[in-house]
Amino acid sequence: MGAVCSRKRSQLVHEDDSFQTSSRFSKTSSLKWLLLTLPRSNSDVSRKGQGKGPGRCPSLMELCVAKACEDINKYSSFSVLPRDLSQQIFNELVASNRLTETLLETFRDCALQDIDLGEYPGVNDAWMEVVASQRHSLLSVDISCSEITDSGLYLLRDCPNMQSLACNYCDMISEHGLGILSGLSNLTSLSFKRSDGITAEAMEAFANLVNLVNLDLERCLKIHGGLVHLKGLRNLESLNMRYCNNIADSDIKYLSDLTNLKELQLACCRITDLGVSYLRGLSKLTQLNLEGCPVTAACLEAISGLASLVVLNLSRCGIYGEGCENFQGLKKLKVLNLGFNNITDDCLAHLKELINLESLNLDSCKVGDEGLLHLKGLMLLKSLELSDTEVGSSGLQHLSGLRNLESINLSFTLVTDTGMKKISALNSLKSVNLDNRQITDVGLAALTSLTGLTHLDLFGARITDYGTSCFRFFKNLESLEVCGGLITDAGVKNIKDLKALKQLNLSQNVNLTDRTLELISGLTALVSLNVSNTRVSNAGLRHLKDLQNLRSLSLDSCRVTTSEVKKLQATVLPNLISVRPE
Amino acid sequence: MLRKGEAPGHQTPPHLHKDDGDDDDDAPSGFVKLISAEGFEFVVDKKAAMVSNTLRNMLTSPGGFSETREGEVRFPEISTPILEKICQYFYWSLHYSSGKETSEFQIEPEITLELMMAANYLDT
Repeated sequence: MGAVCSRKRSQLVHEDDSFQTSSRFSKTSSLKWLLLTLPRSNSDVSRKGQGKGPGRCPSLMELCVAKACEDINKYSSFSVLPRDLSQQIFNELVASNRLTETLLETFRDCALQDIDLGEYPGVNDAWMEVVASQRHSLLSVDISCSEITDSGLYLLRDCPNMQSLACNYCDMISEHGLGILSGLSNLTSLSFKRSDGITAEAMEAFANLVNLVNLDLERCLKIHGGLVHLKGLRNLESLNMRYCNNIADSDIKYLSDLTNLKELQLACCRITDLGVSYLRGLSKLTQLNLEGCPVTAACLEAISGLASLVVLNLSRCGIYGEGCENFQGLKKLKVLNLGFNNITDDCLAHLKELINLESLNLDSCKVGDEGLLHLKGLMLLKSLELSDTEVGSSGLQHLSGLRNLESINLSFTLVTDTGMKKISALNSLKSVNLDNRQITDVGLAALTSLTGLTHLDLFGARITDYGTSCFRFFKNLESLEVCGGLITDAGVKNIKDLKALKQLNLSQNVNLTDRTLELISGLTALVSLNVSNTRVSNAGLRHLKDLQNLRSLSLDSCRVTTSEVKKLQATVLPNLISVRPE
Repeated sequence: MLRKGEAPGHQTPPHLHKDDGDDDDDAPSGFVKLISAEGFEFVVDKKAAMVSNTLRNMLTSPGGFSETREGEVRFPEISTPILEKICQYFYWSLHYSSGKETSEFQIEPEITLELMMAANYLDT
């Protein structure tokens, strides 16, 4: 059921974290996605389920809530209950996907404070009458992804105390319906992701929302010219206009007096250096995201005056060397993303004073070994992204003192086995990406001192069965990718004891057989398994029966039939939500 | 007039008391009397009563509740069948936490909401 309401979300590209690079084709998709996309039916109380062995004892309150939901058809109204109790029953019904339009009626006039129906299936105008019957009690409403229209939204005029309203992806709400917002002047948080109803004219209603602290207009493509109505919202601290690709410099002018702004998301807007210059006075700004904006290094002059800035994303902009000296002033920066720019070694010289940096992304920049010298003193660095750069083994010596480094990405670099011993003493490392054809068993053997590793990506590295013996040093591994094609069942023997593994990718190793599935049958923590393009067959599928946490299974180009895989999913592994071949 | 109600505590085999007591140094020894709106008394182990955070606060706060001294707590708003159910829950919870209980805790549909309000009051 959970998938039903995710339909719209799936169209988003970078939903949350713009500092991540997109995963490459054929590589395992984000583990985070698999862990987060839990169906609603796995709600708190039902998961705690009674009598299922050890675990925290359910409270009597939780048991009563679960029981009330179980017998929900016996009740005609909860209005006699104190509102915090009916709220708990309501929340549990939503979480377990059992709320229907009919059942909603039992909550009429219950003085509920929170109605979170975001992404809930079937929500339409008929539901809004009961929602609005909570009247002055109602403080927060989420009707994202619903079929609510202007007339449904209009009912909320009875709820003037509302502080938070989310109407993301509500296609049916037009600009004519938004006038009602002007009466909701207690709103502190308003979210209207991807709405064509938010037009420049409709935004006039926002001018009244003087208490607004958070405003989210991501992917609203008709707001150009409307930002004039925001200029009086002096309490605004967070403004998201990612992917509003009609926003131009002239719009940004109206933000210049919003001096309480702390977070400004402008990725993929049509903003140039001129637009950025209007942000000069936002002295409280801590996060600025200009990813994909047509700005140059000249905008750094204005940005360097933002003394509170902690997070700066300039990925995919037009940054060349010239003007990079302005980085020097950003002493508080902790996160800097310069990926996919024409950054050179000379530019990195201007970063060496940024001693508070914890995360630096130089993905696909024109930097090499000499540039890394300038990073030598960034002792707080935890994450360094060097994928697709010209960095080679000799450059890594400059990193050998970065004791706090937890994550390094060296995929598609010129780094070879000889470089590995230069990072082998970095004991804080948890995540290492060596997806790179020059890395072999020899390089891997140099890293066995990194016993704290939780993520190891050897996707394209030339690791053989011999090299897999190193895996026994990495007992904490949660994610492992070894897809160089040289591993056989014999090598998998060295993987079978990595009990912490949640994600395992052994695809492209064409010699793997059903024996591999038998060997890993005890890795019960696995959430994602990819053995595509191997000799795994229908007969081997039975070995997967104990992998009850498995949510994603890829068996493309294996000797399996779709029907057998479906059968496995239906009968043995009910938690599987992603299966290939489909 | 007070009448003795049936106390679930008395139904529990004695060896369980001992086991339960051993693994919690803070547990006060002895019993506490819980009195329903109608005057029924339920005598339960203090350890069981302390499954409820409200009762735990009453019974362990150093300074002051008279309940601490007299070893009895009156619930003028909780009816006898509800208080009995709550006492059963206290023991069920203790056994569940120690791994001895695997069966479900049964709640009769007709008392769910009233029990819920009492559970809310007792913070349990």
